[in-house]
Amino acid sequence: MKKHSVVGKSLTRVDGIAKATGRAKFTYDMELPNMLWGRILRSPYPHAKIINIDTSEAKKLPGVKAVITAKDIGPVRYGFVDTPRYPADQLVLATDKVRYIGEEVAAVAATSKDIADEALSLIKVEYEELPAVFDPEEAMQDGAPEIHDEIVPDRPCAWEDWGVARKARSYKAENNICAISQQGHGDIEKGFKESEYIREDKFYIPSTSHMAMEPHVALANWDPSFQKFDVWLTHMGYEVKRYWLARALDVPISRVRVRKAYVGGAFGGKIDPFSYEFLAAFLSRMTLRPVKISLTREEVFIACRLSHRFIINVKTGVKKDGTIMAQEIKAIDDPGAYRGSSPVVLFLTHGFRRPIYNIPNAKHEGIGVYTNKSICMPRRGHGSPQMSFSVESQLDQIAEDLGLDPAELRLKNFRKKGDVLPNGDTLHSCGLAEGIQKAMEVSGWKEKRGKGRDKNRGIGIGVAAMFNGAQYYPFGAAATMKLNPDGTFTLFCGAIEFGQGSDTAMSQIAAEELGVGLDDIILVSADSELCPIDHGNWLSGGIFVTGEAVRKAAVNVREQILDFASGWLEVKEDDLVLKDRKVYAKSDPEKAMTFAELMINSIQARNGDPILGKGFCKPVPEVEFYPSLSKGTGRWTNAYTFSIIIAEVEVDKETGKVKVLKLTSAEDCGYPINPLAVEGQVESQAVQGLGDALFEQIIIENGRIVNPTLTDYKIPGTLDIPEEINVNHIITNDPKGPFGAKEVGESSRSAAIAAIANAVYDATGLRIKELPLTPERVLQAFMDKKE
Amino acid sequence: MKKRIELTINGEHYEFNVEPWRTLVEVIREEAGLTGAKESCGTGECGNCLVILDGKPVNSCLVLAVDANGKDILTIEGVAEGEKLHPLQKAFVDHGAIQCGFCTPGMILAAKSFLEKNPKPTRMETKEAMEGVLCRCTGYVRILDAVLAASQEMMQENKTATKGGK
Repeated sequence: MKKHSVVGKSLTRVDGIAKATGRAKFTYDMELPNMLWGRILRSPYPHAKIINIDTSEAKKLPGVKAVITAKDIGPVRYGFVDTPRYPADQLVLATDKVRYIGEEVAAVAATSKDIADEALSLIKVEYEELPAVFDPEEAMQDGAPEIHDEIVPDRPCAWEDWGVARKARSYKAENNICAISQQGHGDIEKGFKESEYIREDKFYIPSTSHMAMEPHVALANWDPSFQKFDVWLTHMGYEVKRYWLARALDVPISRVRVRKAYVGGAFGGKIDPFSYEFLAAFLSRMTLRPVKISLTREEVFIACRLSHRFIINVKTGVKKDGTIMAQEIKAIDDPGAYRGSSPVVLFLTHGFRRPIYNIPNAKHEGIGVYTNKSICMPRRGHGSPQMSFSVESQLDQIAEDLGLDPAELRLKNFRKKGDVLPNGDTLHSCGLAEGIQKAMEVSGWKEKRGKGRDKNRGIGIGVAAMFNGAQYYPFGAAATMKLNPDGTFTLFCGAIEFGQGSDTAMSQIAAEELGVGLDDIILVSADSELCPIDHGNWLSGGIFVTGEAVRKAAVNVREQILDFASGWLEVKEDDLVLKDRKVYAKSDPEKAMTFAELMINSIQARNGDPILGKGFCKPVPEVEFYPSLSKGTGRWTNAYTFSIIIAEVEVDKETGKVKVLKLTSAEDCGYPINPLAVEGQVESQAVQGLGDALFEQIIIENGRIVNPTLTDYKIPGTLDIPEEINVNHIITNDPKGPFGAKEVGESSRSAAIAAIANAVYDATGLRIKELPLTPERVLQAFMDKKE
Repeated sequence: MKKRIELTINGEHYEFNVEPWRTLVEVIREEAGLTGAKESCGTGECGNCLVILDGKPVNSCLVLAVDANGKDILTIEGVAEGEKLHPLQKAFVDHGAIQCGFCTPGMILAAKSFLEKNPKPTRMETKEAMEGVLCRCTGYVRILDAVLAASQEMMQENKTATKGGK
C-alpha cells in the first residue's frame, strides 16, 4: 500500500491555536453594530388554548423595537420531517394553542437584553388550559386528549422541493400516533418455531440532553438593499438551515447566507430548524437591524430538543448454541408535542442494528406517539443508544441463561465483510470479528468475566454500528480548490467544524493528494455563499462523503498540474511526482518546477485559465433519493462503522453507586485520517455513554422538566471518567472511503452504554432494564433480588 | 443607576459604567470585548466562564461586576505572551485536548491557577482540581494529559530560568 505522509498522522488541529488563545469566534461571540437583542416568550402550560395575546404594553416600553406574535407572521410551519406522508407539524410561533411547556408564543427585539426581558413580562397572554397527556401508552388510548388537529399542508412539502415527485398529503393523528414503522425480513413465525430458547424483555429509556457547551444562539441581519439575510448559527450543516429559513421567511434560497462561525459542540442537538432562528430573522426584517437571540441554558433544556424517550420490547429466539434465529421488536417512541425526528428514529433503531448480527428472521414495529412534552431529535447515534442498550442487554442475558460466553455468542452471530443486508446495502468492510477479539484480548475478558462478583467487580461488552452518510437533502457534497500564486491551495468545502476535527481532516485529505503539508492548505469552510453543496455534518458522512468530495477536488487539481507540467517540462505524466510544493520528474529531478512557478506560467500559457478543481460525492451513488422509512426497504448507505466497547465497573453495594474503572474500545473506522482525532471522538462518546448509563436523564413531571440545570442534570466531569480509556484502531480500509476511511464516534456512545449495563450485571447479577443505572435503581434492584 | 468601576484586565486599565446587576462575564465580554470567557450555564455550574480574579479562579457569571471594582483580572486573552503560547496552551493543542473549544479558555485558566499552587501534581489531584470545568467533547482524557505535560514543561522552564540567574 502507498505510504501516506499527511493522512494517517496525528497532526494537531488547524483551529487549535485559535481555540487555545480564546480568539476563535463562535456565533455566541458575534455582535454587529446597531444590533438588537431578541428574547422569546414561552408557554407555561403543557396544553392550552391561546385566547388572546396583548402586546400593547410591551410595544410602548422605550427601547423595544419590535414585538412579534403569530398574528404578524401567520401559521408558519416547519419540521425536521416534511415528507409527502408526514407534513411538517411545528410552528414558528404558536397560533391557536400551545402543546408543551416552553413552546414559543411571542418574541421581542430591544436595544438591550434587560429591556427585552422587561418587555416579555409586559406581554399578556390569556390561556385556557386543556387536559394534557404525558405518557405515550396513555396517549394512544381512545379518549386521550387530542394534541393535534388535522394538519393540512398549504404548500409542497420539503421532499417535493427536493425532487421527490409525490404530493404532500394532510395528516390526522389517530390516537395521537405521529409515526409508524413496520420493518423486517424472513419469516418471524418460522424463526421462533425453529428457536430452542426464547426470551422477551421490556426496556425503558428516558430523554437526555445533548448539553453542547455553546448554548443555542442565532444572529440574523436582513440587508434591505440586497434583499438578503446574513445569519450566524450554531448548527451542523447550512443547506437544511437555509432551506427552512428561506421557506419560512419567503425569500429565495440564494438570499440567505449562512456564515462560518465555530460551533461549540452539537451532538445532534443543533440539526433541527429552531423557532429562535426564524424569529431572529423575522425580527431583523421588521426592524432593519441585526438581531441576536441567545438562549439561556434552561431554554436549551426545555426547547432545544432532547434525545428520544423509548419503551422497547425485545423478543429473541436462539438455538442452544447461541445462533440467533428470530428477533421481534416493538418500540414506542415518545417524541413529545411535535413529531421531531420520530419517523426517522423508528427506522434507524432497526437500521443501525441491521449490519451487526445476521438475524435471518426479523420483525420490527415502531410507533411514535405525541405527548405534551418537549420535542425529541437525534443525539449521537439517533436511536442506536436506545436500541443497543435493549438488544445488547438481552443478548447478554441469553448468553447467561444458556451458559455461553456473551462475547462468543456475539462473535458467532456477527456479520462479515461482503455480507449484503436485507435492504441491499453491502458491507464492503467489517471489523466486527477482529474488533471483538482485539477488545477481549486487551481487556483480559476471559480472565475477568464472571470472576469479580465477590469483589463487586464486573466486565461487560457492547456492540454498535453506524452508517456513513445517508440520502438526505442535498443528497451529496462537493468541494472546490484553487492553486494560489505562492504555490499553496485554497480549499472550499461546506463541512462545519463543531469540535470533531473536520477542518483538520479535510485539509489533511487535500494535502495528501497534492503532496503538500497541512499548512499549505488554506481552508474556507461552512460558508453557504462560498462553498458548494454539502449535506452537513449530521449523517456521519463528514469523512466518507464530504471527505471523498475533497479528495476528488484535489485529484482534479492534481490532474491539471500534471497536464501542464508534463508539457512545460517535457516529461511524461506518469514520470511526474508532486512533493513539497513542487512537481518534478522521477527520472530526472532536475526537471522540476515549483507550484508557484507553475501557477504563473500556466496563466501565461493558458491565457488566464487558472488551476481550479472540483470534486463531488453522493453517499449512495447507485440509487436516487430515499429508502422507505416506514418499511425499511431501499438502499441507505455505502459503508457502516462498527464499535465494540468492553467496560469494567465496580459497584458499591452499600450505596448502589457504579464506578467505571476502565473502557476498552475497538473501533473500525476503516482508516483513521487523524488517529489523534479518532481517539478523541471515541473517548468523547465513551464518556457521554458513561453519563447515559449511570446518571443522565431528563425528569419530567406533569410536562415540566424539573431538572433543567447542570446541578440537577449532571453530565460527566473529570472525577467520573475511568482511569483508562483504551482505544484500539481496527483498520479495514473501506474501498469506498477516502484513503479507506469511514465515520467515527456515533456508535461508540451506544456501545459504551450497553457495555456498562452488562458490566453491572456481571458485577452484581442485577439486570436493570431502565436507564440510567442510578444508585437508587441499583439499590432497589438489590432489594428486589433479596425478596 | 449605573456605577462607575475600574478593572485591570490582562494588565490593561479599563473604566466602565455598569448597572449594579451586571455580571463580570458580561462586562468582560460585552464592554471590554474580550470574548474568550464563555457563559454556558450562567449559574456557576460549568466553569466555562472561569477567569482569574486577584489570583483566584472564579466563575465570572457569579461575580457582580461592581464587586470586582479595583481588581485584577486575567482572561484567556492574557495568557499567551504576544504570539508565544503559554506551555498550557501549547500542551492543549499538542495533546488533542481541544475539540469544539468552547470550554478551553476556562479549562486552561483553571489549570494555570492549579499548577501555580501545585506545580507537580498527580493525575488524581489534577482530576480533583479540574472538576469544576465541564467539557462535553473530549471525555477529559487528553485534557488531563495536557495539564500534566504542561506541568513538566513549566518546571523545566522554571529550572532554565533559575539557571539563567533570574
